[in-house]
Amino acid sequence: MNGEMQRARRRQMFIFLLVTFGMLVLLGRLYYWQVLQSRSGYNLAQQANNEHLQNQVLDAPRGLIFDSAGRILASNIIRDDVYVEPEQFSVDHPNGDPQGELQTLITALHGALPQVATGALQKAFRDGFARGQWAVRVATHINPAQSAALRNLQLPDVFLQPRTWRVYPGGTLAAQILGFVTQNDTGNQGMYGIEKQYNSILYGTAGSLTAETDLQGNPLTLGATNEQPAISGSNLTLSIDSNMQYMVEDALAKTVKQLQAMSGTVVVLNARTGAVVAMAGYPTFDPNQYGQYANQLGCTNQAGVYFNPAIYCVYEPGSTMKAVTMSAGLDQGLITPDTTLNDQGCMSFSDKTPTVCNWRNLAYGTETMTGVLIHSANVGAAYVAHNILGTSHYYPYLQKFGFGQSTGIDDGQENPGSYRQPGNPIWTMSDLTRQAFGEGIYVTPLQVAMAYQTIANGGAQMQPYLVSSIQGNGHNANTRPMVKRQVISAQAAQLLTGMLEQAAIKGFAQLAQVPGYSIAAKTGTATTVGLSTNQTVASVAGFIPASNPRFVILVKLDRPQNAIYGSTAAAPLWGHIAQQLMWYFNVPPDAPLQLNG
Amino acid sequence: MRASTKPILAARRRRQLHPFFFRMGPVGLSICSVLLISLMAVLYLSQLGQAVTTNQEIQRLHRQQATLAREDQDLAQQIAQEQSPVYIAARAAAMGLVPADPKTIIVLVIPHLKPVPSDDQRLQP
Repeated sequence: MNGEMQRARRRQMFIFLLVTFGMLVLLGRLYYWQVLQSRSGYNLAQQANNEHLQNQVLDAPRGLIFDSAGRILASNIIRDDVYVEPEQFSVDHPNGDPQGELQTLITALHGALPQVATGALQKAFRDGFARGQWAVRVATHINPAQSAALRNLQLPDVFLQPRTWRVYPGGTLAAQILGFVTQNDTGNQGMYGIEKQYNSILYGTAGSLTAETDLQGNPLTLGATNEQPAISGSNLTLSIDSNMQYMVEDALAKTVKQLQAMSGTVVVLNARTGAVVAMAGYPTFDPNQYGQYANQLGCTNQAGVYFNPAIYCVYEPGSTMKAVTMSAGLDQGLITPDTTLNDQGCMSFSDKTPTVCNWRNLAYGTETMTGVLIHSANVGAAYVAHNILGTSHYYPYLQKFGFGQSTGIDDGQENPGSYRQPGNPIWTMSDLTRQAFGEGIYVTPLQVAMAYQTIANGGAQMQPYLVSSIQGNGHNANTRPMVKRQVISAQAAQLLTGMLEQAAIKGFAQLAQVPGYSIAAKTGTATTVGLSTNQTVASVAGFIPASNPRFVILVKLDRPQNAIYGSTAAAPLWGHIAQQLMWYFNVPPDAPLQLNG
Repeated sequence: MRASTKPILAARRRRQLHPFFFRMGPVGLSICSVLLISLMAVLYLSQLGQAVTTNQEIQRLHRQQATLAREDQDLAQQIAQEQSPVYIAARAAAMGLVPADPKTIIVLVIPHLKPVPSDDQRLQP
């Protein structure tokens, strides 16, 4: 019995040791995988989770952009991208493709997507096989009918990936105000204009979905799920009116083509609030197909066509600046509309400042300040700046009107412009006399429009703006019109308005007249140093109705060929836009009507 | 002390084998256990089946929601496009309409008509 017991115990001991050894081996293996391998980044638990857990980033739709009447200027659509899965095809066909299924698949895919050539599909698979790629995109932004066709076909090793795209229903409408959005796999990015300026607000907040998935990869709503919904970007409402914007763009494009001009710009502002009603440039682009315009230049070849010329392209304003010179004299009480000078067509200065001459050296004799604006006399403007104001009474007004500094409008990249002033080593008195009639000073169309807005608004310059409200995603803000500064007194503004009215009636802006309405406007024709004198920048700036200003309009045409002066090239367009504005906004006439027939 | 606890322990053992409210032999107990386990399995499977069906329904509704959201965006885009002045002008031109000539506009002059006051007040600093 004792021997039997001992054998039994030995057997028990052997089994015990065997089991213990097995356990130790298992423990060692466990330590290897769970401790040693996890330190080297080989995370088994993570890998196991990845098998059945899906982490998905939920794209936040970009905020919409509306015009002042609530019409959509920029929205989003969802379109599918098409991917093929070469590596999966290899896995599904471990013994090659004796049945020619790849060719069948390619033929079916080409049938649904005729725009993708068979060769391109074959190349996608070939490259995918060579590189071991799991997914290769073969088409982007396919139309809904093609998406539906592909879904019905249920092709193996092909899948659709939805993607949100930015679209602009108006095409070129307000393109240089809006800018555009570049799309890539990681998201979207606003470029130029409002899209860039307000990118962080329009972008929204991406969401996430973590969920267990079924065999087909569909997220299960049961089990461990964690969903953070995507929050759409804020919606923006602009101050522009689509109808007026279109009217202005259309009229500008026709005029530029008709006059064979290089380019053109129009700015329409609300005279009281500084809100932009319309802002157009030509040439322009279609933000839905922005890539096609990458090499096109605007701004008289100063910059790409994507830039908004009203705020980015600088020019010498010419005689439209005479209103600024007069306003400085009137505000300081140094001149009145009836102050006179003897205009002999050219004027020399005792301090050796270069002589200034009128257009074609025309002499006007004894001439009032109102006459200076009517005749657009360079001599009169230079006389006021040089002989009456001087540097100390002139330059502070350029500063107060906002020249040489950004207006602060909320539309992307702005050019502050420039001019020489005392303190600059190369400044001379000649700069002063020339700047008085708009030469030797570089301004943007918006800066000139804002100078006239100041005059129209009783001397108070408003902060110009494009975005009138931001709503959604935690924002609820409305832009309140804000006075930037009181540039000149209300009395000076009133006197100047009267002078500009006379300039429009008796001077060069007669083609800008609108029946039934009084206007206050000034033309400008600037030449550029180094260019022929018939290569001009023709412009008109002013406001309507003069008695109770509602709109400020600036029209600028670069190097028009068929008519080269502000009075003949820009004034008719100014008048057309002004008339359309009066009718569209039901502004009552303020002047006697001259009926035809 | 030890002798006095024996009857108590014996009674407890009897109660464990034969609960006072349920008397059953080992065979009966086994059958009942199997039946109970089967019942629980059936209940579990039934619930799982329902959950799977519900999940499929939720998936279908999610897909439908995505499709409808896409259609909604497409329709909004179409409306925006057709409301755009660019589109309206093109359609008008295609229909043979031309812009009104300002010279053809007839202005009616009503004597002594009081002008409509403007609500647009001047803003002062």
